[in-house]
Amino acid sequence: MKARTIPVLTRTIPVLIGVILTVGAASISAHHSWNTVFSEDRPLVLRGTISKVELVNPHAWIWLDVKGDDGAVQKWGIEGGPPNGLIRNGVTKDSLKIGEELIVHGYGARDVATFQVAGVKYEKADGQEFWLANEGAEATAKAKGNLK
Amino acid sequence: MRATLCAVVLATALVSAQTTYKPPRTAGGQPDLNGFWQALNTASWDLEAHEAAAGPVLQLGAAYAVPPGSGVVVDGPIPYKPDALAMKKKYAANALREDAEVKCYLPGVPRVMYMPYPVQIVQSTDMIVMMSEFASAIRTVYMNVATPPPADTWMGWSVGKWDGDTLVIDSKGFLGGTVGALDDEGTVHVRFLDRAGNYHTEGLHVVERIRRTDADHLSYQATIEDPNVYTRPWTISMPLYRRVEPNMQLGDFKCEEFVGDLVYGKYQKK
Repeated sequence: MKARTIPVLTRTIPVLIGVILTVGAASISAHHSWNTVFSEDRPLVLRGTISKVELVNPHAWIWLDVKGDDGAVQKWGIEGGPPNGLIRNGVTKDSLKIGEELIVHGYGARDVATFQVAGVKYEKADGQEFWLANEGAEATAKAKGNLK
Repeated sequence: MRATLCAVVLATALVSAQTTYKPPRTAGGQPDLNGFWQALNTASWDLEAHEAAAGPVLQLGAAYAVPPGSGVVVDGPIPYKPDALAMKKKYAANALREDAEVKCYLPGVPRVMYMPYPVQIVQSTDMIVMMSEFASAIRTVYMNVATPPPADTWMGWSVGKWDGDTLVIDSKGFLGGTVGALDDEGTVHVRFLDRAGNYHTEGLHVVERIRRTDADHLSYQATIEDPNVYTRPWTISMPLYRRVEPNMQLGDFKCEEFVGDLVYGKYQKK
């Protein structure tokens, strides 16, 4: 069961600020250890168009339609950090439009049949980059040099 | 109609009281709204005038019945579009499934202000925090900024300014229902304003006017706008009362633990 599917945890941004101040960001990311579901050995770069954006707690999700080599379109889910983190990185609800093209850098799921990615950052068509506030995945990407 | 008239008379009386009272000031020079406040009416059951009624659970009898009320809508009835009124009746009939309060979701604005739980206001010059006992719901009012809502949330995005001694809060950026809910049991499709199924969608825009009318009362007014649901903006008005108990504090009402079995019981190991 993915954390995003638990509506009781869907709290407001101010509450989340409170949680971070109280518990500390480090223990939050430890609690949600990203690499139990996702694999450090599956760095991925996806190019696709946005089909849905969920800027919700506890983790934001961006959904991309990605066209494969055979022309078939596969829906991918990109998991980011908490919306508060994305907002601090300059990503708001007005940043991502349905149908807009994105390039996403991240790590694929351990289960290759799950078309989901721990998102690290995305690039817009104009070359602008935004980090997805996914602390664990971002730290790993920087340490391993998986990002260009 | 008589109830509406009473509400108008009450609102008029509150307005005339406002003109004479000069509230004490905070260190920052603003009217002092700090303290614990609570509505003392039946708005939480039904914003509109209503008679007493049986509660939603037969076995609870009179204990959880609906108390009668003369309503808090000053320019009522609520101006629903015809199809939205039909939806309201449908949601009212399914309140146990559709009402966020039942599921312990954050109640939103303005509902959080008139639930039967105290609201503590803590005030500084740059922001005013309003904390409800219900689900520890918090809203932050950012003063004198024009920042648009960065994300849509249950509690919305509130910006405030002082109009004389009146705090005026403009709120939008509301979610209209659950996002990514596990299943139907966890889903709400719209957001209730009360337990009677009066509702809004993500089109909600609320303008609140709050001011001290004497040492222990606030005048609370909210104008509610949602073009998806109503034909025009409409306004509720009520006093909020200071909780004067010397040992007053917000209690813990972490209601998630009361609804775990209700929403997720079927996923538990037998």
